[in-house]
Order: sequence, then C-alpha cells, then structure tokens
Amino acid sequence: MTVGAGRSRPGIGDYLLWSVIALFIIVPLGCFLAYGFFSVVDNAIVYRPTVGNFAELLSNPSYRATFLRTIRMAFEVSAINLVLGYATAYFIWLRPPGMRNFLVIALAIPLLMSYIIKIYAMRGVLGTNGLLNSALMALGIVDEPVSALLFNLTAVRITLSVVLLPFMVLPIYIALERIPASVLHAASDLGANELQTFTGIILPLSLPGGIVGAMFTFVLASGDFLAPELVGGIEGFTYGRLIFSQFGLAFNWPLGAALSILLMCVALGVIFVARRLGNPRWQR
Amino acid sequence: MAKPDTGGPDSESGLPLLRIRGLGVSFGPVDAISPLDLDVHDGEFLTILGPSGSGKTTLLRAIAGFQPPSAGRIEFDGRDIADLPINRRPFNTVFQDYALFPHMTVRENVGFGLRVRGTARRQMTERVDIALGIVGLEELDSRYPAQLSGGQQQRTALARAMICEPRLILLDEPLAALDATLRRQMQNFLKSVQRQSGITFLFVTHDQSEAITMSDRICVMRTGNIEQIGTPRELYYRPKSRFVAAFFGASNIVEPCRIEESRDDMTVVSTPVGTFSVKGPPPENTSGLALAIRPEAFGSDAETRMNSLEFEVAAVSFVGSETITELRHRNTSLMFTMKSRSDPAARPPETGSFLRVGFDPAECALVTGAES
Ligand SMILES: Nc1ncnc2c1ncn2[C@@H]1O[C@H](COP(=O)(O)OP(=O)(O)O)[C@@H](O)[C@H]1O
Ligand SMILES: [Mg+2]
Repeated sequence: MTVGAGRSRPGIGDYLLWSVIALFIIVPLGCFLAYGFFSVVDNAIVYRPTVGNFAELLSNPSYRATFLRTIRMAFEVSAINLVLGYATAYFIWLRPPGMRNFLVIALAIPLLMSYIIKIYAMRGVLGTNGLLNSALMALGIVDEPVSALLFNLTAVRITLSVVLLPFMVLPIYIALERIPASVLHAASDLGANELQTFTGIILPLSLPGGIVGAMFTFVLASGDFLAPELVGGIEGFTYGRLIFSQFGLAFNWPLGAALSILLMCVALGVIFVARRLGNPRWQR
Repeated sequence: MAKPDTGGPDSESGLPLLRIRGLGVSFGPVDAISPLDLDVHDGEFLTILGPSGSGKTTLLRAIAGFQPPSAGRIEFDGRDIADLPINRRPFNTVFQDYALFPHMTVRENVGFGLRVRGTARRQMTERVDIALGIVGLEELDSRYPAQLSGGQQQRTALARAMICEPRLILLDEPLAALDATLRRQMQNFLKSVQRQSGITFLFVTHDQSEAITMSDRICVMRTGNIEQIGTPRELYYRPKSRFVAAFFGASNIVEPCRIEESRDDMTVVSTPVGTFSVKGPPPENTSGLALAIRPEAFGSDAETRMNSLEFEVAAVSFVGSETITELRHRNTSLMFTMKSRSDPAARPPETGSFLRVGFDPAECALVTGAES
C-alpha cells in the first residue's frame, strides 16, 4: 500500500514521507551497494569501479566455506524453530483465552529486551557452570560439566534458536488465531476426527504463518554476528562475523560491502520464495 | 400434517426423528435455553423462529454437539446421542457464516465428508458431481471459496452438508447474509432441495416471512423458551400469545378482555369497544387476556360479519397495493388494511367520518401473556 492510497492527489505528507524513505533508506543502501564496487590499496579506498571484490569472494575457498556453513546453520535453525515454534504456538492456541494472552505477551517481552543481554544469558545457560550443565548433572546424565556446550557452532545453533523463537511462534499463532471456530466445527460436523481436522484443516491453514516465521528466522540467523561472536568460539565462525571483520578489523569496507551484498541477495531470494509459499493461491 | 402442540409422545403416529426432552443450556447463571421439549419429524421442514438473542443458535449448537447441554436428553431415531462426539452425530450443519474451508476448492469442500470416511476416489467423484449438480455448481468446482459470491458459497455449504446423505440438516440463519433478491431465490431453492431430497431440515431464522414461506411447522422462541409451535397458518391465524401475534403482524390488540361465554368451538368476550365472538375455546391461562385482530381481517361489509364495531377514522394512508386506515375509539386504536383500488366508488373513507367494520370469529384470536 502506498501512503495516501485512495486519494486522488498526493499531498505534502506523501512527499515528506517519500523524502524520509529516500534519505534514510534508499540513499544509504545505494552508497553501500556502491562501496562493493570499490577497492582498497594501501589502507585507502580507491573509488574506481571494479568487480574484483566479487571475484575474490567467489574464488576464495575459505569465504565460500564460511558462506555455505552459515547458510546451512541458518537453515537448520529455521527447521528446528519451525518444529519448536509450531508446537509452542499450537500449545498456546489450545489454552483458554486468558492464559493464551498471558503466554503471548510473555513470549513477546524478550523481543523488547537488549539482544546482547539475551545472548549473555544464553552463555550463562550453556557455560561449564551453567544452568544446562547443572541440570544434566542433577539428573545424573553426566558426571562432570560438559564444556562442549559452548564456543562451537552448536552453541550458535542453540542460542539463535532460543533467541529467534518468538519470530517463529508469533506468525504461526496469528495464523492459528485467524481460523474461525466455525471452520473447525464444520470439520468435526462432517465427521473428521481430531487428527483429520489437524492435518486437513489446521495445519494447511496455519503453515503459511510458519513459512513467514521460517523466513524471519533464516534471514536473521544468516546475517547475525553477535551470537556467533559471543558463544561461537573459533569453530562458530560465521559469515556475519566475516563481514564484521572486514569492517571492524581488516578495514576493508569494499570487500565487506561485497560480502554483504551477496548475503542480501540470498535474503531477498528467501523472502521472495517465502512470499510465494506463505501466500498460497487460495488466499489471493 | 403435524399437529400444533409441542409434540408430546402422543403427537404423531411414528417416532419423531429428533426428540428433545427437557433440554436446557446455561452460561454460568444465565439460562440461554430453559428446559424445553421439541419433536422434529422425519421429512419435515421445521423452522426455529425468534428474535436475536432468543436462543436459536444455542439450541442448534446443543443439538449439533458444539454446546454441551446443562440438562435434558436429545434422541435421534430413538437413540440418546448425549455421548456421541460431534463427528459421530448422524446429521450435518450449514453454518451462518458458511464455514467453508478456505484452502480447499468447491469440489474438495463438498467432498470433505466423504474423504474423512475414506470413500474410494471414483465413488467420491461421482457423488460430489451429483451434489454439485443439485446445487448448480458444476462449472465452479475448481474455485476457492474466496472466489465465490455469497449465494455460491451458500450452495457449496449446502452441498457439503448433504454429501453424506444425512437424514437431518441443521441450518443456522443460512440466508441472513444475502441481499433481498438472492434471499428469495435461495428460499425457494432450499425449499425445493428439501422437498426433493426428503431430508429433514431444522432451519433457524429471525424473519417471520421467511419462516412462513418455507416451513411445514414453525417453532417460535422467546428468551430461551418455546412460545408456540404450529403450522404457518396456525401461528398466523391462531397465535396463542401477544408475542406471537405481534411477531406475525396481528398488530391490533384489544384489551382488557373478559370471557362472557365459552363453548368448544366459540368464545364470546367483552371488551371496551364491544362484545365479540372468537373461534375456538378460551385459553387455559387467561392472565393478560386480549383480542388480537389482523389488520387485513376487517371488511366494510359489516352486516355480513358476526363481529362489528364502529370507529372514527383517524388517518388514511395510501402505501401502494394497500391502503391503511387508522381507526380510533376511546383508548383503542386499530389498523385496518385493504387492497387499494383506483375505482372512485371504492374510495377510502374520509378522515373524521365514522366507519362500521366487521370481522369473522376465525380472523381473530385470544392471546395471553405480557406485552411483547
Ligand atoms: N458462549 C456464550 N457465553 C455466554 N452467553 C452466551 C453464549 N452464547 C450465547 N449466549 C447468550 O445466550 C443467549 C442466546 O443466544 P443465541 O443462541 O446466540 O441467540 P440467537 O441465535 O437466537 O440470536 C443470548 O442472550 C446470548 O447472549
Ligand atoms: Mg444466532
């Protein structure tokens, strides 16, 4: 929807909003894209267009490996979260209305909290003296603390899954909420048992929400650098950290921009696919 | 034709298809339905008629199993169905909002009841084709509900409810969302489907004209109680309560009434505007007794009628096919409608003149109960 849709003439407000959009979104993005085509010589940026950065990142096996590992990790996080998130949303949806609202709010509150704090919290959970190890020891599953829970790619997977779970649960829950009670009644009225109602009606009607959630999770997980930085250790080196290192450490902004552009293309591709899957023909 | 009482055990030769005894539904302290009895006979078109909030939907939901009753029994074909889960109840529902499955085509929607029963694909296709033929949707079978008009969604919902050949279909205000023209079409259509299929319809509406045109019998509900059950004619001509009389447009109420003489076939009552004969015995409970007269019951040929009265003409209004005359006498005012004529000889009376009108004992009814 464009601002002022339905009005015949764009007003002053429309121009104002468009200039805000241009100034804060389009121009910075354009500059950023442009940087991808510059290069660095002797620690100074050379403003002459070249595709050297892209050639570099496609041919460098270490970049490629990091890229593929990250995409795969983000995909795994999305898949795990789809299952966990669906189960959580479904569980919440089945509660009585008062309880339901409470749980949804409880789930949304962490979204308002600082991202760093959440990751440190996860570090506390996963650490040698953390909650998870204490629990494992208390249950007698292990004799001494497991250090393998932290500073590897699995720690990144777990952390991102936990932190991004609300992004999965909320769209699924909204999709479930939108199913009219009469539609479910109609299914049982026509003879469907609970399983048939679930697989035939509830799941297909709520899965578009899951696809939106998976898209959020994938895009956020693939570009994240804070969680891998703080809980990933050396093994958990991801594409996000690679980009960060180009900007923060190597001071190679053009290469960092080029790396980002590649990630952005992947994200746009995922969003495009998700839009198609998440908006099936019957909804249009 | 079924008899006009609530349908006690002796009301019909055979066993009713649906037999409801003492059924009550309460939401906390509120009784949405006070314990009531109702019989639905095999093959009939029975309409539950009542204003909004009278408990029609709740009654239907209790029968379908969506709403557990707080008291009473529901028997289908002689079997208590209290313990039957919704999906095992042997009848189907057409919902007020149609409740079509948005992600399924018309064909898939209609076939759903067969699919969950594991019907073979070929047989399913055949039966869905037949059902689509009945409702006239053969051409639209691959559309999604969002691509259908209100009337087409309605037809889909009906075909879906009929596919498993239930003996009873429950319909909750299925026409409420349609515009007037389509509504009339669908009334005729539903009625013809019901007559041809022989399926018993338990139909809910708040529209008395819809109820009159479609039903074999009408059950009038008011605040969770059954006010009266009977054929459209019985309710129209012999309402038992003021509420039913008003609902069916017998808007002239003459009160108070005192019974002067009562016989089996005739009751004589005295009222402030005269003494009149009314067909039938007097009601058992006479609290709030009043005489209800339909506006179209009056004729100016007073001499030939058993009852007559002389009133002053207060107002005359021409509303097209009818002319409405308002008559007044002391505190009583009556509406009198007659067919409009262009013939100057049949001109309506002048305002302020006195008019003598008559009506037959069969055209009025003794009603009881509080003001509606
Ligand atoms: N789920 C519910 N909880 C509380 N009260 C209800 C509920 N459903 C219906 N009622 C009440 O029961 C009465 C009958 O409602 P309903 O059966 O929907 O009437 P109708 O269909 O005749 O309009 C109304 O007073 C309504 O407020
Ligand atoms: Mg209703």
